[in-house]
Amino acid sequence: MDAAQLLNWVRGAGLQLAVFIFLLGTVWRLIEIYSLGRKPDLAEARHVSGASGWHTLWRRSIPIPGMMQRAGLTYIAGYGFHIGLAAVVLLFAPHIRLIHDLTGLSWPALPSPFVDLLAVMTLVAMLVVLAERLRQPVKRFLSTFEDWLTWAVTFLPVLTGYLAARHLLLPYTLTLSLHILSVEMLLVLLPFTKLFHAFTVWPSRWFNGDAHGRKGVAV
Amino acid sequence: MRINNDVEFKAALNGLDIHQQRRVAAAFIESVLPLCPDNRVSSALGMVKRTGISDAELASAYREANSARVELFTQCGKEADWLGQAGHFVAKATLYCVKPPEPGINLAWEAAMAARMARTCETVAEGAGTENHEAENQYRILYDLLNT
Amino acid sequence: MSASLARAVNVLKEVIDAPIASYFASCVHCGLCAEACLFYTETDDPKYTPIHKLEPMRRVYAQEYTLIGRLLKWLGLSKPLTDAELAEWQPLVYDSCTLCGRCSMVCPVGNDIVYMVRKLREGMAIAGYAPAGVLAATQRTIEMGSPMGVKLPALKAQIGHIEAETGLTVPLDREGAEYMVLLSSMEIINFPEYLSAIARIMKQAGKTWTLCSSAFEATNSGIQIGVSDLARVIVARIVEGAERLKVQTVISPECGHAFTALRWEGPNLIGRPYRFKVQHILEVLDELRVQGLLKTQGFEEKRLTFHDPCQLVRRGGVIEPPRNLLRMISNNLVETTDPGKYNWCCGGGGGVSANDDAEAIRLIAFKRKKTQLDAVKPDKLVTACANCRIVLEEGLEHYQMNLPVVGLTEMIADHLASD
Repeated sequence: MDAAQLLNWVRGAGLQLAVFIFLLGTVWRLIEIYSLGRKPDLAEARHVSGASGWHTLWRRSIPIPGMMQRAGLTYIAGYGFHIGLAAVVLLFAPHIRLIHDLTGLSWPALPSPFVDLLAVMTLVAMLVVLAERLRQPVKRFLSTFEDWLTWAVTFLPVLTGYLAARHLLLPYTLTLSLHILSVEMLLVLLPFTKLFHAFTVWPSRWFNGDAHGRKGVAV
Repeated sequence: MRINNDVEFKAALNGLDIHQQRRVAAAFIESVLPLCPDNRVSSALGMVKRTGISDAELASAYREANSARVELFTQCGKEADWLGQAGHFVAKATLYCVKPPEPGINLAWEAAMAARMARTCETVAEGAGTENHEAENQYRILYDLLNT
Repeated sequence: MSASLARAVNVLKEVIDAPIASYFASCVHCGLCAEACLFYTETDDPKYTPIHKLEPMRRVYAQEYTLIGRLLKWLGLSKPLTDAELAEWQPLVYDSCTLCGRCSMVCPVGNDIVYMVRKLREGMAIAGYAPAGVLAATQRTIEMGSPMGVKLPALKAQIGHIEAETGLTVPLDREGAEYMVLLSSMEIINFPEYLSAIARIMKQAGKTWTLCSSAFEATNSGIQIGVSDLARVIVARIVEGAERLKVQTVISPECGHAFTALRWEGPNLIGRPYRFKVQHILEVLDELRVQGLLKTQGFEEKRLTFHDPCQLVRRGGVIEPPRNLLRMISNNLVETTDPGKYNWCCGGGGGVSANDDAEAIRLIAFKRKKTQLDAVKPDKLVTACANCRIVLEEGLEHYQMNLPVVGLTEMIADHLASD
């Protein structure tokens, strides 16, 4: 199979397969988790303004006092790569065009030099995240094969995308194919690994905020 | 005049100076001392009974008695050992006996209450119901001390 | 698989609800929970990482509630939980976790880790992997009415002592009283001043109150170790007493887990809402303050700081009342670093202080509290939980810190305005 054939495959059958597994897997996992339900809480709730599941959805992104001093790098590198990743995915013109082709939605793109910068920032942040996971005792202790795999599967799309956009290292057709293929790997693995937190973080934060909120504690 | 109740007891105690309070407190504690097998408590008590005790010696006695008191607490969730707990209150009474004077607190009264709790613990341990006569005992001790 | 292990796995399967499954699905192994846990911060030992304490439950979750996990189990490729593992996890779950809840506040993906530990304890306890001391305490509560074996005669002895000391009556089984006061064994045994304080405050406020001879004990160690059946019996006793005496409010004493058990878990244990309110004593006092029924005089001169009992403040929502009350009698109140709902645990909650195996680690964990106190340098430490008091005193003694510890209710009572 040559580069052109690969490109055709990843754009065609490969994409269909990956999206299919992603959608089916996501629906399955969401049902698997949330159909377990939650028993109603019969204790009389307090009603304190600012203390609720909805508040925690966004407020949980803010570290509590003392945590930045203890784990600043985790927060900075973590937020750094999440924000960079989101920016590169959503504000790069070719990506917006793809989304437009699929959904009809469209919005202004960031000029590519900025996207370039953000991509580099994301790559650096992800390397820092990896280094931290290797260096920091708690992260190292907790890490399993899945942690390294998900890191790689998140890193590769950004790396290959950057190489493709800058026409670096390998012929464009190949880097583009590799980029799309790496995204497809990410999609396939997402519902079945910790990457699923992309979906579950929202209900989790809500449950947490709700449980604390009815006690009158804003978390 | 005889002391017949806690109102009179407290009034009489309030009329004592710090040295007299320590002396009478020591006497209250002597009455329940057998309930506390800890040497630190008895040695702290011994120090108080000596005349001319210095502040440094009082502080040292305080530390000893406090260590004993903290160790003798009954832990949350452990089976209540009432006799052991009696020892804790004897240590607590001893603390009042040796601590520096504090405004608003009558050391002898606090020591008396703690000593009574020690006796109550002993009564509970023996299953002997709720009655004990430590209060009357203390009235007599104070009366004797005031009239010597 | 042994019969008890099978029971444990079944319990774990049952307790995993949507929130817990959501939490396991969300964990990204960032390790931030460790930075919030005093057992990790004072030892630098990663095994104390809160989410790691949940590994036995996570395995059950993976094998029962994830597609890949189910597939692997079906193919015979997954590792079932073993007795040895539960035994290995017992110290992590019971010796080095006080259910303080700080981890639940920091997890960036929103995991309510303390909730999960509570549920894990249910599985561990049913398989017998809970500390003998706490199991015994729960058994004693069932059989004797109190975890420490404090029976009615002992309480009556205390009442006699307090009535003599204060000159006030302590009502017992008085129907229609506004407040039914509960005590923890700790207060009955260690801090009789608490009941005396209640008597004096109620007198001044002009409120009717009573103790209940069939339900004077608030402590619920069943909650701590996760034995819901026993926890239910204990709560039911209180509910029966309170509803029989037709009281309006049941007052939970200065005991952390008693409040959690009665106020927050009780109705769920008995399967229905109560026909009375439950308030912590500090909430009651604060209400009296607002109503102008709590009159104090004089001010503490010493520099005071407040230790927030985890179950009362972070886990119970009673955050401002202690401060409001302290400001009535002090102009010299300073907050610790990380005050209020962020405060650090004394290290002895959740059954840890009753667990002999945990004594060494508890004293090490106390360094966190010590660090806080060294930074603030108070003259007196005030708190509102009988267990915290003892744990704090032991910790201070161990580190040779000369700092008196006082209960808030007593302190207020000592400042009651005389008529």
